[in-house]
Amino acid sequence: MAEISQAKIEKAIDLTADTAIRNEHYFCDLDGLAGDGDFGNSLATGFKVIKAELPQIDGEIGAKLLKISMLCSKHVGGSSGPIWGTGFMKAAMVSKGKTEVTLPELTEMVGAAVDGIMARGGAKLGDKTLLDALIPVHEKMKEMAGSEDLGAVLAACAQVADNAIDETRTLVAHRGRASQVGDRSANTPDPGIVAIATILHDWCREFGVEHAPKAPELNRATA
Amino acid sequence: MKKFVNDPANFVPEFMKGVVLANPDLLEAVPEFQMIKRKDRPVADKVSIVQGSGSGHEPAHVMAVGPGMLDGACQGPVFAAPPVDACYETIKALASDAGVLVLVNNYQGDRMAWDMACEMAEAEGIKVKQFIINDDVAVKDSLYTVGRRGVAGNFFVIKACGAAAEAGKSLDEVYAVAEKVNNNVRTMGVALTSCTPPAKGTPIFEIGEDEMEVGVGIHGEPGRQRAKITSADQITETLFEAVQTDLPFQSGDRVALMINGLGGTPPAELYVLYAKAHELAEGKGLTVARNYVGEYCTSLEMAGASLTMLKLDSELEEMLAAPAEIATRVF
Repeated sequence: MAEISQAKIEKAIDLTADTAIRNEHYFCDLDGLAGDGDFGNSLATGFKVIKAELPQIDGEIGAKLLKISMLCSKHVGGSSGPIWGTGFMKAAMVSKGKTEVTLPELTEMVGAAVDGIMARGGAKLGDKTLLDALIPVHEKMKEMAGSEDLGAVLAACAQVADNAIDETRTLVAHRGRASQVGDRSANTPDPGIVAIATILHDWCREFGVEHAPKAPELNRATA
Repeated sequence: MKKFVNDPANFVPEFMKGVVLANPDLLEAVPEFQMIKRKDRPVADKVSIVQGSGSGHEPAHVMAVGPGMLDGACQGPVFAAPPVDACYETIKALASDAGVLVLVNNYQGDRMAWDMACEMAEAEGIKVKQFIINDDVAVKDSLYTVGRRGVAGNFFVIKACGAAAEAGKSLDEVYAVAEKVNNNVRTMGVALTSCTPPAKGTPIFEIGEDEMEVGVGIHGEPGRQRAKITSADQITETLFEAVQTDLPFQSGDRVALMINGLGGTPPAELYVLYAKAHELAEGKGLTVARNYVGEYCTSLEMAGASLTMLKLDSELEEMLAAPAEIATRVF
């Protein structure tokens, strides 16, 4: 059974912070196309604090994730604070006391985060939120939960999230509001989906796993 | 866009510092949680009214703190809900035996933050209820929000609830007032230009020199339609029609009528709109019992305006007329 060490999880969180900070303005621009333009700023503000505090947070995986959840509640504004805070909190609850996790356990953590985010915000698959990336990623993890090749699982998850950008790009038009919204929201990707895909891509790159970004927004975020 | 900004990251704390320094007798700040509260609140036997939302809508929300209005408010970054922590601390700071009523404008981020904050406060034994304001007729089923947005009608909810709380009403009674106002208030806005959030540094949307966005949201959210700009009277007719038919407001109704500037429109232009709106209301057989022209819920320096109408009964009329004071002074 493939094991994922606490050090790897901490590195992944640190890389996530780098992704959010590096893309602050780009994610704001994406949000400005169809939302209110605060997404990148909200995320980067919180992850700057998380990155700085990460080395000083004591405890095992669950304890660290719980503290990160609290930092989200304190420092991330907008919709992102409750969403990311809830996600980390639910993942923390199922990883309590663990200093390493198996792939099925990591899959359970992601599943708990997805359920928590759905309950918090009321969104579901197809609503063009970050769940449209997270849900298929979780499905892919379940499908591959028996795998010994963690790199292959990560690459497959990155690809699923990458695909989600294209698959959801035109969703607004399908929901009958195109006539009201005009071309500003048609053909714009959801910044949350782009963020998840970018994080997974950056993990691939830093953990030495092959993944070539496909969606143009992902190409730009990882360039 | 040129702005008076130091570090964009410090924009919100700096403006809040200014608000408190300019109103030393009335207000105090809790900078850690981007909160402004009345110095003399909470009081044990009075319901506290609190709010908190993104910055950039001043005088909403922290500048609506004062006697007969909000007891406290916290701010998020520009156009973004405050962090959960700030909401929770605001409830805690204003907790009274009579309870806390949280007035939440209907945006996903605000709702989630206040939901979590209220759950946390309740778990600590604080008596708290939240009420969701959604007066924007432009939105039927928005993808960006959880239904109709809360916009300038928010001020009527605050004003009436503030008066009810000052009169010593219970938490349930003040909540019922919020419900009554929200059920009877409607708003529709129009934008002529975009605004530029300080941290973003560029306009939030593009709009042609000869275009207007009808039904715009206060964060520049797309409205009902993009159209060629027309005369002030025609624009007022569009806004009035959308608002009047939605409730609908009917002949014989007494109403409060508000023209709210979105931050970048001069007062004189707002009065041009008001004159027509008043005339249209009377033409429909409505009696304009209370009138409001100015900036209540803005969108930074967006040129534009919104029209809000509230159907009154004797209770609401009395509550709107009750004394109140906020940081935007009237000489």
